[in-house]
Amino acid sequence: MTYRLEMKEMTKKYGEFLANDEVSIQLKKGEVLAIVGENGAGKTTLMRMLYGLEQPTSGEIKLNGKTVKFSGPLDAIENGIGMVHQHFMLFSDFSVTENIVIGHEPKRNGFFDRKEAAEKVKALSEQYKIHVNPLKKAGDCSIGEQQRIEILKVLYQGADIIILDEPTAVLTPIEVEELLKTIQFLAEQGKSIILITHKLPEVMKVSGQITVLRNGKVTGNVLKQNTDIEQLATLMVGRELQKLTDRNQLEGEPLLVIDNLNIGVKEAKPILDHLSLTVNRGEIVGIAGVSGNGQSELIQAISGLRKIDSGSIRLGETILNGKSVAYIRNAGLAHIPEDRYLWGAAKEASVEETGLMGYYRKKKFNQSSFIRLNGFRKLVRGWIERFEIKTTSLDEKSGNLSGGNLQKLIVARELGFETDFLIAAEPTRGVDIGAMEYIHEAIIAKRNNGDGILLVSSELTEILTLSDRIAVMYEGKIVDILDRNDATEERLSVLMAGGNENESSTKTTTTA
Amino acid sequence: MNLQRKLQQLLRSLVQPLTAVLIGLLTGAVAISIVGASVLETYKVMWDGAFGNFYFVTATLARATPIILIGLGLAIAFRAGVFNMGAEGQMVLGAVSAALAALYVPGSGIIKMLSALVAGFLAGGLWSLLAGWMETRFKVQLLISTLLLNYVAVLFAGYLVSSPFQDKSGSAALAQTHMIDQAAWLPKLFQGMSVHMGFVIAIVLAIILYIILRFTSAGYEVRMLGYNPFFAEYGGINKIKVLLFSMFFSGGIAGLAGTVEVLGSQYRYVEGSLTVPGYAWTGLMAALLANSNPLGTAVAAIMLAALQTGAMGMERNTEVPLEIASVIQGVLILFVTAKITMNWWKVKKKAGDIHGAA
Repeated sequence: MTYRLEMKEMTKKYGEFLANDEVSIQLKKGEVLAIVGENGAGKTTLMRMLYGLEQPTSGEIKLNGKTVKFSGPLDAIENGIGMVHQHFMLFSDFSVTENIVIGHEPKRNGFFDRKEAAEKVKALSEQYKIHVNPLKKAGDCSIGEQQRIEILKVLYQGADIIILDEPTAVLTPIEVEELLKTIQFLAEQGKSIILITHKLPEVMKVSGQITVLRNGKVTGNVLKQNTDIEQLATLMVGRELQKLTDRNQLEGEPLLVIDNLNIGVKEAKPILDHLSLTVNRGEIVGIAGVSGNGQSELIQAISGLRKIDSGSIRLGETILNGKSVAYIRNAGLAHIPEDRYLWGAAKEASVEETGLMGYYRKKKFNQSSFIRLNGFRKLVRGWIERFEIKTTSLDEKSGNLSGGNLQKLIVARELGFETDFLIAAEPTRGVDIGAMEYIHEAIIAKRNNGDGILLVSSELTEILTLSDRIAVMYEGKIVDILDRNDATEERLSVLMAGGNENESSTKTTTTA
Repeated sequence: MNLQRKLQQLLRSLVQPLTAVLIGLLTGAVAISIVGASVLETYKVMWDGAFGNFYFVTATLARATPIILIGLGLAIAFRAGVFNMGAEGQMVLGAVSAALAALYVPGSGIIKMLSALVAGFLAGGLWSLLAGWMETRFKVQLLISTLLLNYVAVLFAGYLVSSPFQDKSGSAALAQTHMIDQAAWLPKLFQGMSVHMGFVIAIVLAIILYIILRFTSAGYEVRMLGYNPFFAEYGGINKIKVLLFSMFFSGGIAGLAGTVEVLGSQYRYVEGSLTVPGYAWTGLMAALLANSNPLGTAVAAIMLAALQTGAMGMERNTEVPLEIASVIQGVLILFVTAKITMNWWKVKKKAGDIHGAA
């Protein structure tokens, strides 16, 4: 049988840099192909060539056995290829229907026929079991719903091959489950799916065939039944990953003590609601929760970026609430922020300047308010070496670093303060497996050193791997705290969704 | 790090303003030929008018003095990420305060001069600080408040010199203060030439600001605040404090621009003498042309001043009208703003590429 899609020996050169080196993939009708690889492995480049956004340096694309050439995305769409981008492209003031039919609106007497459009969308939504409300404003839809709109848009345009670029990155665990079901159903209906991701458990759940890329080359092309996560990870990274072994519980005294913290008491729903939490020395406390349940505000309150209404935050003997950020940092707090571009760096600042934040106040690097750059540069070079941060020079703009490398720079900077306490918020978001490993090791080493760490992550796997204790946040409250050994993904998922897991937790959750 | 790359970087940063200047001159050439004059000859006359002999050079530098100071003041604010549009009002208030201090503070000439400098700086600084404070306290947009405060300042200064402090001794009774005691004047740099000590002050200030912005922790805080206020706050920089300080110095230096004009060339505050030549807006252009680099701002200010003095020479000696200089300046402004839009457009385009053409 002929393949629905074949890409043969695709090569893309940017100057001397080989982004894709003779990459070939095949895709049959009704098949799910996962393309996995670290950041910068060439997944996106390959898809951009397929979608007509880049012209290959050499290579051939065949659709149903016929060689094709796309000069742009419109060409690709016409040929039945659709792409759901990582960042959605919706008009938030338009209805779901309008967003889906845009560009191919059903018309009556030359006018847009809203009624027919809504019916078509409804029919499509039922046919593929993708639930949306056709009349809702796109801006009012949840992230998961918005993604469904994007998928329906692609289906409406008549795509047979659907590219999903990192579709689960923004979803909650429950939404991920739903999406995976949708993907399977679409495949059963005869659609061909290309799934771009670096989350291996999801790959193992839905895909039939898996192509692994590393440094622009195919390092493996395997069927799901013949492989496992360990093998895929090895193919992706090029070496075996170390298992994070079980560790001894360290008995440490309390370090960060949060008592009865309240934020937004005047709002209809408080942001933080009588929250109490303790992080001991030599301990990683993970905070699990669907984003938007007060985690960001908690971090900001601890680090001095947000005012609190009442309660107290102590670090050792020092009271932190009501103090300035500089005071709190000086008292022994370092902070890997959840959004590296918003909080963690300035895109226009150089690598050196981004690294300098906080250090310029230290005596060692500050001589009567002149910054001693020479000593500091040595320090930054050390970070670059230790974390293998890829940058052309210290004068490179931070915004030019890849996301993963910038994250490593920020992690190195915050670890470099050697504080007693660290907030690590989404420390590995958007970072490839190799870098993730470095960062995890560094965090565990800090814990073993007797420091306290508060870990906030939307990745349950990360929480489960790193934490000694796991606190689940829901609607501004800590609904339960589980011990490392008692926590499973299932139990956490239930608690995160606001469910009562057992009798003991009913005391802390009020029925809404 | 190494010299070669530094040099390359410098050259690259110069490409855009130089292109803008070149296109400005080309457009000017078109305008000149429409008038029917010879392009090369006209430009030659213009050049002579700006740099033709020592006298013209000093005239150009004298004109550049307030422009440099205004540009430096604005550069600080821009670096801190705030758009101070109130340089004109800050300059005028500085000028009138300096004139009054020099007239009414008792003491020797040098004391009068120093108190005038301090008063000019403080008046401009506090006026600018007012806008900064309104922004931090009440979230009144700086761009708008500084712009509107210009009217208040200029009209208030006009009132001061047309009523309570007017010099009524002359026959024409212009809206101006009495003349300052000669002992309090800023000395001329050369006998009989118009350039005065204020120019030296401006250049020294440019160097000091360059060093502060580049090598000190205060400069680092200002720059980071301008790059990304969230990052600054997260890193422990006191946003409000840095913003207020930046606004104070920004306005203070603008006030100083007015002060040195009063002490060095007018010897009194005359209504309209600072606003009519458009020093504030030329200074704004200088800061934008140089991307808020203090040294670059000084160079750009001298260049823009040369364009103006050159055009005056051109008008004296040819049939080509003075407005040609405005044409060239206009095109310059266009291309300086085009730089901003180009950057914006590039970012947009990049984002669009990633998301495809859906």
